[in-house]
Amino acid sequence: MSELKYPKLDLNIYVLIKQVPMPKAMKTTAEGLMDRTGKSMMNPHCSHALEEAISLKDKVGGTVTALSMGPPNAKQSLMEALRRGADRAYLLSDRKLAGSDTWSTAEALSKTIEHISNGDALDVLFAGLQTIDGDTAHVGPQCSARLELNQVTYVESVDIFDDKTLKVRRIIESGYQILKVPLPVMLSVSHTANVPRGPSLNSSMSALNKEIIMYNIGEVGLPETSAGMTGSPTVVSRVKNVVHDRGAIVLFTEGSTEERVSNLLTALKEETS
Amino acid sequence: MSELSAEEIAKRERDSAIPFVDLRDGARGVLTWAQMDGDDLADAAIELIGEATRIAQHLDEDSRTIYTVIIGRKTSQFTDKLIHHGADVVYVIEDERLTDYLTLPFTNAMVSAIREIKPEIALMSASTLGRDLAPRIAGILDLGLSADCTSFEVGLYVNRRKNQKFEKAFKMVRPSFGESKLATIVGPWCYPQMATARPGVFKPLDIDTSRTGKVIEFKPEWESKDFDVELIESVRNPSTIDLSKADIMVAGGFGMGKDGFGLLRELVDAINDNGQKAEIGASRAAVDAGFVDYAYQIGQTGKTVRPSIYVAIGISGAIQHLAGMKESSKIFAVNNDHKASIFKNADYGLVMDYQEAIPELIKQVKAGYKFPLDK
Ligand SMILES: Cc1cc2nc3c(=O)[nH]c(=O)nc-3n(C[C@H](O)[C@H](O)[C@H](O)COP(=O)(O)OP(=O)(O)OC[C@H]3O[C@@H](n4cnc5c(N)ncnc54)[C@H](O)[C@@H]3O)c2cc1C
Ligand SMILES: Nc1ncnc2c1ncn2[C@@H]1O[C@H](COP(=O)(O)O)[C@@H](O)[C@H]1O
Repeated sequence: MSELKYPKLDLNIYVLIKQVPMPKAMKTTAEGLMDRTGKSMMNPHCSHALEEAISLKDKVGGTVTALSMGPPNAKQSLMEALRRGADRAYLLSDRKLAGSDTWSTAEALSKTIEHISNGDALDVLFAGLQTIDGDTAHVGPQCSARLELNQVTYVESVDIFDDKTLKVRRIIESGYQILKVPLPVMLSVSHTANVPRGPSLNSSMSALNKEIIMYNIGEVGLPETSAGMTGSPTVVSRVKNVVHDRGAIVLFTEGSTEERVSNLLTALKEETS
Repeated sequence: MSELSAEEIAKRERDSAIPFVDLRDGARGVLTWAQMDGDDLADAAIELIGEATRIAQHLDEDSRTIYTVIIGRKTSQFTDKLIHHGADVVYVIEDERLTDYLTLPFTNAMVSAIREIKPEIALMSASTLGRDLAPRIAGILDLGLSADCTSFEVGLYVNRRKNQKFEKAFKMVRPSFGESKLATIVGPWCYPQMATARPGVFKPLDIDTSRTGKVIEFKPEWESKDFDVELIESVRNPSTIDLSKADIMVAGGFGMGKDGFGLLRELVDAINDNGQKAEIGASRAAVDAGFVDYAYQIGQTGKTVRPSIYVAIGISGAIQHLAGMKESSKIFAVNNDHKASIFKNADYGLVMDYQEAIPELIKQVKAGYKFPLDK
């Protein structure tokens, strides 16, 4: 009877999806920028954000719009979002965006949201908590500042309070907060929030008929002076590798449980003494 | 050492022709946010003042004032402590409604303080609260921001593309690409140059009770929408137990289940009966699932421990967990999934079900096995 629990709200939901290099394919170019030509995937936290967006839509109705900024191959992740149940997908792609830091990424994404929504007010903007290539956790809050939304980061659960407010739980040090948050709001979602669903047959079928709409910066009204390296208030001046001092692990795989445990304990003792 | 290559010499010559610029436009001093956890001062508050003081020594003489902003319900009681730990000017923002961190009023307060103080550098903690607050501020004031930094420097920065040289740029060093690289970020074009700094990394200054400073009661202009978001509940687990005393930490994860923690307790008891100091630890997932109390959580949002031996059982090895135990002398992992990332961060491992491994460990400890300890 869970359908009866929620009012029908028809929320206008957006979710920010970034396509990132696979962890094994992560390299930087000579200029210190991320090399985006190798194998890539949907940023894991974005996948959790998408899940939260779709399950909110499942509860109260509405549309889920997936939005990404990146090279044309980011369409891959947006297609994945459609197959999982997003209703529409947009990609902002422009060479002039290369080298964007988080401020100018947020500026570009916010401008694109304003352009797409065209006055039709956004209710909830979902973002991933952070990306695995940038690791900053900035873009969500920076978009919410630009779009003047309420904001909750480190989100672990989202529920409906009443037709204008959500009940949101967020992680804090040594515990959590539960907040009552009026719409519109930006929620940045932790990977601890949910287990993302795979593509559904239904959504995959309807995704076939959908087009990912592409924009360049001119079309969304982003001036060149705010885009990419030119528009970014920070730059990466240097990158160096971290050396780990813990050696390779020794695994104990031979023999019975008893032998394996006792071999490990003996090795531990011998090495340290 | 070796002679410079022709290429290097040419580069240096080109760099020496680049003009120095200073875009600070009156921005001076270092501002820190003194984070509160509920009604208590967070450790990060004094850590940041310590680091700010070290950074300030490398700035121009007229830019060495440390401004500290404290926001909350009962903040004035902490001004002495902040000054004794190095703050020169404390901006106190006190309001009955600020029982806990809330994004909008804290942003408004910080933005107002930054506009008034006009610092050259601003530092906040890279806690779950600081990483909520800082990007919101950066979004409003159109500032650059560097996340989760682990060290800072001040020094020469040359930007060849823009043909600019900065004598005392703020260099913010941060782990990136899943902790595999250290990136240095600079942004000497917008002020303050702002960063969040990882808690626990920077050292506070020794307390000096003879230090004096200025206290300014600061009243931001609240907007009604600042208090639209309502705090229903805030759970902070008081740290009643001291996990740092244990030489052997036996930590369980989500993979253990509630029953598993019973077994874990038996193992800890057996080690203690055998005359060695052991304690239980846990991952956040195990705590959230209710297997064990928050007080035992190890990691970024739990405790940091450095025992001689850390036994991780049924723990996947998420970066946030590693943050709290990776300095342990020896790490030993039990997990039934050989791909679990804990195995990339341990010295010894058993790919095994905990239900097999723990009873065997108990047996061997009861038979007199003693873990080798550092001291
Ligand atoms: C801001 C933030 C802060 C966080 N702070 C912390 C923190 O302080 N501490 C922390 O721990 N986490 C923290 N987390 C959560 C962290 O990211 C992980 O989600 C969490 O550590 C996972 O816990 P786990 O390894 O117990 O669970 P899982 O990731 O679910 O792993 C369970 C493991 O158990 C293994 N397993 C299952 N069954 C068995 C069996 N029968 N025998 C043996 N092994 C088995 C599985 O193979 C798996 O590897 C934080 C997250 C965020 C976003
Ligand atoms: N280029 C991008 N396109 C779409 N969303 C993005 C982009 N960069 C960041 N985001 C969103 O912001 C979140 C945090 O990213 P970051 O600040 O890079 O750690 C991500 O999980 C995304 O939801």
